[in-house]
Amino acid sequence: MKVQVDLTKCQGHARCEDICPEVFATDLVEGKCVIKNELVPDSLREKVTLAVRNCPEFALKLSSDTEE
Amino acid sequence: MSISYLPSPPDHVPEHLIVDFDFFDIPEGVHDPVEIWHDLVRRGVPKIFFTRKNGGHWVFLNYEDICEGYRDYEKFSTYQAPIPPIEPFPTVQPQGVDPPQHTVFKMLLAPMFTPTAVKEFDEELHRRTKALIERFADRGECDFVADYAGKLPTSMFLHLMGLPEERLPEFLEMANVFFRSTDDAERKQNVTRIYAILNTMFDEKRKNPANDIATKVLFGKDLQGNDLPYQDILDCGFLLFVAGLDTVTNTMTYIWRYLATTPSAREFFRTRRDNTLEFLQGLEELFRINAVSNLFRRVAKDVEYKGVFMKKNDRLILPNTVANRDPRVFENPSTIDLGRKVNVHVTFGVGPHRCVGQHLAKREIMISIQNWLDRIPDFSLAPNQDASHPFGGAVMGFENLPLVWDAPTKLKG
Repeated sequence: MKVQVDLTKCQGHARCEDICPEVFATDLVEGKCVIKNELVPDSLREKVTLAVRNCPEFALKLSSDTEE
Repeated sequence: MSISYLPSPPDHVPEHLIVDFDFFDIPEGVHDPVEIWHDLVRRGVPKIFFTRKNGGHWVFLNYEDICEGYRDYEKFSTYQAPIPPIEPFPTVQPQGVDPPQHTVFKMLLAPMFTPTAVKEFDEELHRRTKALIERFADRGECDFVADYAGKLPTSMFLHLMGLPEERLPEFLEMANVFFRSTDDAERKQNVTRIYAILNTMFDEKRKNPANDIATKVLFGKDLQGNDLPYQDILDCGFLLFVAGLDTVTNTMTYIWRYLATTPSAREFFRTRRDNTLEFLQGLEELFRINAVSNLFRRVAKDVEYKGVFMKKNDRLILPNTVANRDPRVFENPSTIDLGRKVNVHVTFGVGPHRCVGQHLAKREIMISIQNWLDRIPDFSLAPNQDASHPFGGAVMGFENLPLVWDAPTKLKG
């Protein structure tokens, strides 16, 4: 599973970071989402899915890691 | 405040979209101000309607329209948008302007208020929250608004600006006049006074730069690396003063009102003190249910939005509390579920103007809950709640919230 952020939508609510700090962080300049590792390990699938569903800007997207 | 009622509806507003609604008016018998909004939904009024009250304005009631009102700044501007319309209105930076102008101060403030950056204030937050609580903890009672929620955000503002704590009473008084006074002359004089104090503060920072937000704003640059216009710096100082006060005060008042009446919620936060994820999940639910702000926008140009014709300079209100209980977005929207897993509430707004101080506000409230429950694990509303005085408007809340609990001095007495 792969997770990506659309930075034109992200406004830096950091709800993703609250839910799954293992994968999401906030950059120190604009305060927007930084994905530390696009490829989500199985152990974090549930947390990352929850993070994606909680983005109030709908800026996060999940895809299978084989998709382009 | 002089509240004007449009003698006749504007020509472009069809009669079936007109609803009689005054967002300042909390009728006798309504104890919770957000209910005036949910009452509209229950009555089944149009999801986009126009009221002739308060100078006339539109209201959006659907989650997706409220979000659109936030995001589409080319249609719905924040510039000179107060309701009722008072012009000219202080153009606060960056909240009161749209992109691209907005981007300059947004880029300046954003790094100072990231989740990581605001954690630097934790120690100070712990110290200030504990000191406030200690003043009344042994008394067994307090007015939560006057003794705590009304003080903490202003106290933190002083810290952010590097101003001495002793000046708290002076700033509390200015905040109080700004948010509560209905006397036009007094309001005007107060705004002048706030600007004069900000001016003195920035003068001081110019001479003695420090590691505080005031200094960072003063020496901030625009995207090309040029100095910022001084008026804009003052307007940003003004925003930093007013933006985090009333909203945080009233959100906290709502939350404590709920905690006081809900032992299981106190238990929830006490037992999850060190479980950050679940604590934050519960906190987000408190934010969803206790959304005190109704945001203003000005229609920037003649537009047709979802079949409704809106004219340039029409005003618009985006009630967060309504968006946050939209049944098409939230399961069991009126139920407070502290374990709610998916919670895309709009309490801090969405889009480019989302609350820049939201991470600080969250820390203030989170640390307040922790330290309060450590010291006062159980408390309830004082028997006489008639004194709480609910109010409506851009920010809804209660003038007072008398709380009581068992305390040593009370037991002795």
